[in-house]
Amino acid sequence: MKVIKIDKKTWAGGINSLRSGYRLIGPVVKGDAHDFAELASDEAPDMAFGNTRLSPKSVIFPQSEPMFTYSLDESDPEHHILKDSTKDYSPRAVIGMRPCDAKAISLVRMNFDTPDYRDPYWMDAYDATTFVGLACDNPCTTCFCTSAGCGPYHEEGLDVLLSDCGDAYEAKALTEKGEKLLAAAGWDAEGDVSIFEPKKADAEAKITCTVETGNLRGKNSLDLYDAPFWKELSFACINCGTCTYTCPTCWCFDIQDENKGKEGVRMRNWDSCMTSLFTMHGSGHNPRTEKHQRFRQRFMHKLKYFVDKYDKGLMCVGCGRCVQQCPANIDIRTICNKMNGYEAAS
Amino acid sequence: MESYIGKIKEISERLLNDGTVECVVGFRKGTVALTNEPCMITKASDVKDLVWDSNCRLNLANYLTGRKEKIAVIAKGCDSRNIVNHIIENKISREQLVIIGVPCKGMVDKNNPESLQSNCATCTHRNPVIYDELCGELVEEQTDVDKYEDVRAVEAMETQEKWAFFEELLSGCTRCYACKNACPLCYCPTCFVDESQPQWIGKGTDPIDVRTYHFLRAYHCAGRCTDCGACEAACPQNIKVRQFTKKLEKDCNELYGWEAGLTVDQRPPLDSFKLDDPDKFIM
Amino acid sequence: MKNLMEHMGVEPGRLQFSWISSAESTKFVDVVTKVTESVKALGPNTNYVKKSAAKV
Repeated sequence: MKVIKIDKKTWAGGINSLRSGYRLIGPVVKGDAHDFAELASDEAPDMAFGNTRLSPKSVIFPQSEPMFTYSLDESDPEHHILKDSTKDYSPRAVIGMRPCDAKAISLVRMNFDTPDYRDPYWMDAYDATTFVGLACDNPCTTCFCTSAGCGPYHEEGLDVLLSDCGDAYEAKALTEKGEKLLAAAGWDAEGDVSIFEPKKADAEAKITCTVETGNLRGKNSLDLYDAPFWKELSFACINCGTCTYTCPTCWCFDIQDENKGKEGVRMRNWDSCMTSLFTMHGSGHNPRTEKHQRFRQRFMHKLKYFVDKYDKGLMCVGCGRCVQQCPANIDIRTICNKMNGYEAAS
Repeated sequence: MESYIGKIKEISERLLNDGTVECVVGFRKGTVALTNEPCMITKASDVKDLVWDSNCRLNLANYLTGRKEKIAVIAKGCDSRNIVNHIIENKISREQLVIIGVPCKGMVDKNNPESLQSNCATCTHRNPVIYDELCGELVEEQTDVDKYEDVRAVEAMETQEKWAFFEELLSGCTRCYACKNACPLCYCPTCFVDESQPQWIGKGTDPIDVRTYHFLRAYHCAGRCTDCGACEAACPQNIKVRQFTKKLEKDCNELYGWEAGLTVDQRPPLDSFKLDDPDKFIM
Repeated sequence: MKNLMEHMGVEPGRLQFSWISSAESTKFVDVVTKVTESVKALGPNTNYVKKSAAKV
C-alpha cells in the first residue's frame, strides 16, 4: 500500500491535471452548507467542511435518472420501443468524500450488485468512479460512526484516503484505481504511513456518541415488529422524506414514465418509505397506511432486516445527517438503542 | 419564556389526573441542540418530560388532525390560530380540546440562535387567540412591524427577475415534502403530489415540477396560512418557502381584510361568497 | 391564483379569468378575442413550460 505526500502547494495543480482524465465531483458551498457537485473547470473542491448536507450518493445514484427513451409517434417505425438513454460513464472522481459516505456506497452495492442481478446504471456509474476520501479529524456532534461499523479513518469503499496534515495531505492509495488517480495528478512524493494510526486514534476518541447494536441480530424480528414502542416513537414524525433523501444508505427508487408530446422517457426517482404512496398497490390496497408502520419499516430495515440478511452490520454508517436534519427530532440513535435493549414479554 | 413550563406541567398534571383529558400534546427535550420533539403525554407521571423554550418551532395543531380523544394541547399564538382553522375545517372539535395557551415572544432561528425566526420577528399574534388555560401574563403584541417587506421587494421586480428569483430560491429543493408535512393545513387523505390518476406533476427533480409543487402547495394554503413558519423551520435545505405563502397572506389581507385563524365565528373569505367580493381579476 | 402566478414570474396576461353565462354569447366572443390578442402579443410561453421530459 503506497502512501504519497501531497504538498498543498501542489494540490490545485494536481486537481487541474486530473480534469483531463476525470469528471471531478467535490464538496462546494451551496447556499448555507456544503454539498457535492460537479466541479466547474476553474473550481477547486472546498475541503473545509464538517459534513455535506446531502451525501454524495447521487454521484452514483442520481435523484432523477433517465433509463429509457421512447417515441409515441405511430408514424415512427420504432414507436413504443424502449431505447437506452444516452449515458456518460467516462471516468469520474469524487474528491473529499467522508469515509462514512464511502462505506455507505459499499453497503448500497450489496443491493445493486448481487449474484442474481446487477443494476446496470448504478454499477456502471460505480465502476466509472474513483473515490477519494478525506479522513474526518473534526467529527460533528451527531456523528456515531465508530459504533455503526465505520469510523473517521475507515477505508472501506475508498480508493484513496487523504489525511489533512496542515501543509500537506498524506494520501494512502488503497486500490489500483487510487494509485492511478494519484499518478494522473502528478503527486508522487513519498509519504509517511505512520501518521495514520495516531491520527485515527485521535479522531475516533473525539466521537463520543454511540449506539448499542450488539443484540440486534439475536432479536426475533416479529418481537421487534410487534414491540409496543413504535407508536410512541413515531408520534413526532411528520413522514417527510428528509431522512431517506439525506441518508447515504437509502437506495429505494420509483420508476415513472414521463411524456411530452410524442416523446417520452422512463426514469427512476428516489423514493421514500416514509410516504404512503411507497407501498400503494395497483389494486388500491396499501399495507402501510399508518405513520407508525412506515416509521417502523425504515428502522427495521436499517437495523434489523438488513443486519439479518447480509450479516454485515447495520445499514447505517453513523453519519448523523438524519439526526441533524429531521424537522421533528426523530433520532436513529434513540431508536437503535431502544430496539437493541428490547425484551419482549414472554 | 422558560418560566411557563412550571405552569404547563401543573395544568397538564391536573388535567390528566382528573380525567379531563386523555393526553397532552406538547414538546419534550430534543436530542440535538436547538430542537425539541413534539410528544404526547398520557400519564401524569410523564408530565415531567414536557419542556417549553424558544425551540418549540413546529406547530402542534399538526398533531391534532382527525384525533378522536380528549386532548390538552399546548398552544402559542400561531398554534392557537391553526387550532381555530382546524375547528373551522372540522379536523377536530372544540369540545375535544383543552387549549393550554402560552404567550410567546418568538422562536429562535434554528440556524442562527442569536435571532428570532423571521416570521416570529414580525408576528402580530403572539398571544393565543383561543385558550382554556393560560400559562402566564399575556405579552404585548407588536404593532410597528413590517411583515411584507420581502414580498414587496419581489412584487417590485420585473417578470423575468421574479422568475429567476424563485428559480434560485428553489434550487436546493429535494422534494422531501417536509414543508407540507410540517404544515397543519396539509391534511388531505391523498395529496395532489401523490395522485396518479391523473398525475398532476412529475415526480422528478425537473425545476418546473419542483416549482409547480411549491406553487400549488402554497395555493392550497390561501386564506388559511397563519405564517407560523413551521414549513421553513422544517426545511432541511433552509429554503425560504414562505415566499410563496406570504404573498397569498398579504393578498388576503389586502383584498378581504382577512387574517386566518383569529375566530371560529366567521367563515374564511375563500369558502364564502359576498356580493362585494373583489373581482378585479375577472375580465 | 393569478396574483401568485404573476408573483412568481408568469407574465401578466398569460393567465386570465372570466365569468360568462351561457346566455352571454357576445361577451364570450369578446373575451376570447381579447385573450387571444393578449396571449399572441406575449408570444409562446418560455418560462412555465417543462422543457423536455428527457432533460434531467
